Amino acid sequence: MPEPILEVQDLSKKFCRRLKRSLYYGITDVARQTLGLTPQLELRPEEFWAVNKVSFEVHAGEIIAVIGANGSGKTTLMRMVAGIYQSNLGKIRYRQGLKVTPIFALNVGLRNEFTGLENIKLKAAIFGMTEQKLKERLDFIIDFSELEYALKTPVGNYSSGMRARLSYSVAIATEPDLFIIDEALAVGDSLFKAKCYEHLGEYVKEKERAVLYVTNRIRKVMALANRVIVMRKGEIIRDSFDTTEAMEFYINDIVGDNMADDLKEMKLKKIRHFEM
Amino acid sequence: MWRFIGKIQSWWYLVRQLTLVEIVGMYKKSFLGMAWMFILPILAVVIWVVLNGAGVVNPGETDIPYPAYVLLSTSIWGFFLEAYKSTSNLLIKNGRMLIMSEVPFEPLLMQKVVVHLINFIIPFIVNIIVLLAFGVRFSTVALLFPFSLFPLLLLGMAIGMVIAIFRIIMVDIANLVDEGMKLLMFLTPIVYTPKITTSWLQVIVEYNPLTYLIGFSRDLLTSGTFFMPVQYAVFTFVSLLLFIVAFRFLMKSSPIVLERLINN
Repeated sequence: MPEPILEVQDLSKKFCRRLKRSLYYGITDVARQTLGLTPQLELRPEEFWAVNKVSFEVHAGEIIAVIGANGSGKTTLMRMVAGIYQSNLGKIRYRQGLKVTPIFALNVGLRNEFTGLENIKLKAAIFGMTEQKLKERLDFIIDFSELEYALKTPVGNYSSGMRARLSYSVAIATEPDLFIIDEALAVGDSLFKAKCYEHLGEYVKEKERAVLYVTNRIRKVMALANRVIVMRKGEIIRDSFDTTEAMEFYINDIVGDNMADDLKEMKLKKIRHFEM
Repeated sequence: MWRFIGKIQSWWYLVRQLTLVEIVGMYKKSFLGMAWMFILPILAVVIWVVLNGAGVVNPGETDIPYPAYVLLSTSIWGFFLEAYKSTSNLLIKNGRMLIMSEVPFEPLLMQKVVVHLINFIIPFIVNIIVLLAFGVRFSTVALLFPFSLFPLLLLGMAIGMVIAIFRIIMVDIANLVDEGMKLLMFLTPIVYTPKITTSWLQVIVEYNPLTYLIGFSRDLLTSGTFFMPVQYAVFTFVSLLLFIVAFRFLMKSSPIVLERLINN
């Protein structure tokens, strides 16, 4: 088995359900940190594990769909992998020199009063590109986004799909080894989405790269992924290379068992009808 | 500190882009555009000239014309205050970027410093012209003036970095300090001189580090003399120390508080 590009071991992250208590815990955690005391690892009142002892490896060539019901911990897990959130427990080991680019919200950093071209520069800087790297990749960005006609237009006049095209094109131009996409392809027209899916498929084959993408859209998973991770209440409950089997498992899981067989079958049928 | 320098180097293009966007963005929708950078300080001069002419203010004895004195003092005070304000809003204003992307806080902090310096320099050039018009003459020692502001930048940023954390988890403290800054302006010899005769105010002025940090810079520029150099040196050292401690506090605490930025 080749060396994984990413190894996640027993990763855990806790959050608090109540705002004021969360702020209070924030104060005590900051105080403990300042005084050099060890952080409190056990759950305090109103706290819960948003991600609980999650372990998995990512290998080159994998496009992994991370799916699960709302609040199952997908985004928190991705934010920890991207280095945005600190974990409370567990480890993440990256292959040496691994370049990770996450996209959680495509609009972050875009300035409405500035033109498309100015926003490309800004967005590239936010994704950590240097001026030289941007010079090398600018033609690709303009070409991939298909926005050449709107480069001098203020982004405030762009549609949500155009904004998504601009941001996504800059993100992919950073040429990450691990590309994290959190529902970022939910907007954009069908043609552009198809182009992105096709490009991602080729992208991971080109070099030692992988994609982790979070979605609840079953059809998207079927179209793109070669591995599926299903999450529930902060834990991985299925990790499978058989995407069809994993999807069936997922929809059975979200429907649950606490109902009569005919009602369950009706719900499953409905999901399959709308999503698959 | 090496970590800070390393981060700034690798994110320098972001610092440049954000600076450009902030400076240009401020005036982008205005017809007068960047001319506002000159209009505002001129208006400030006019206000103080009018107030002085009307006898509304009684500043005490000043070595240079009062409007020139107060213009320079408020400008130096503004330098300190803006350093505090921009730093203390660092996390809350950039929260979305910090939790939605892998941008660390260091380049954002650096960008705030760069924008702050640009915002100070242009009006300050206007102030220099006004000071010349009021008959103030500068000696060669005045060339040290920009360097003399450094402790004020460090102190403003040090307080700002601590408050940046509290602005997320304990907004009451941040609000109190914001209001305290308004009071602090009147407890610092800015619109009056350090020779003020009110006894209780005299005591506060004496123990206020800003008296020396601002007074030193002001006298350096206007008379080429060193105002209370020992006190200035002590508070420069204290400011540097506070800056290092506050930076470490921000670096260690920001991951804890950023995940609590739920309004982003």
